[in-house]
Amino acid sequence: MRLLNCNHPEAIRRMVISLAMLGLLVACAPVQPWERGRLALTRMSLEGDALLEAMDEHVYSSKEAASGGIEAAGGGCGCN
Amino acid sequence: MGARVRLQCAMLIATSLACAGALALEPGELAPDFDLPLLQGEGNRKLADYRQDMVYVDFWASWCGPCRKSLPLYEALHQELAGQGVNIVAINLDEHEQDAIEFLEQHPVSYPVLRDASASTPVAWQVKAMPSSYLLDGSGRVVRAWAGFESSHLEELRDAIAELQSP
Repeated sequence: MRLLNCNHPEAIRRMVISLAMLGLLVACAPVQPWERGRLALTRMSLEGDALLEAMDEHVYSSKEAASGGIEAAGGGCGCN
Repeated sequence: MGARVRLQCAMLIATSLACAGALALEPGELAPDFDLPLLQGEGNRKLADYRQDMVYVDFWASWCGPCRKSLPLYEALHQELAGQGVNIVAINLDEHEQDAIEFLEQHPVSYPVLRDASASTPVAWQVKAMPSSYLLDGSGRVVRAWAGFESSHLEELRDAIAELQSP
């Protein structure tokens, strides 16, 4: 098909136009800078609480019999 | 070029413009007026109320780390510049008014803090970051604009004010 022939200039032009029109059709709703309060909430953090995560990781690695402790700010449990 | 090609090019340009962000308020531009209620207390404040004086307008929110850092520093600056024809006005953009009130109870400031619940002012001022601040001269024109906050901004602000105050 002509549209899929990437060497055909007409096909390239139609593909560019199609992509541009797709951009118009997609419901883009940019978040304004002052609307980002919810992203700043602690519960929205990907990392979560470092110490709790370290403790969970320690329990997990103990159950898995894996070696090594996990460090976190404030120190670990000292049992390794 | 045929009409069809011209139309397609126009649509491509329109798409590009739609995706591009609007330019922020630039130095030299006249700042749009606002008429907003005080966050604490009765009454409104308009930008026009500050004509003939310099005014530093700060857009902030309680959830914004640099904003929380800047407010006590602005309060100190406000005390320092008292009586020198420099006003500081903060416009709060918190989604929930109570968040701002609780923050101010812990970090009180003596300069006016206004509330823009509809966020029409940051839209008109083309705010691109939080916080954003603008120094305006006596005619309401933007002298300097800052996106974000760093400690060095205070020195830059002092320098800009001194330059405006010099004969």
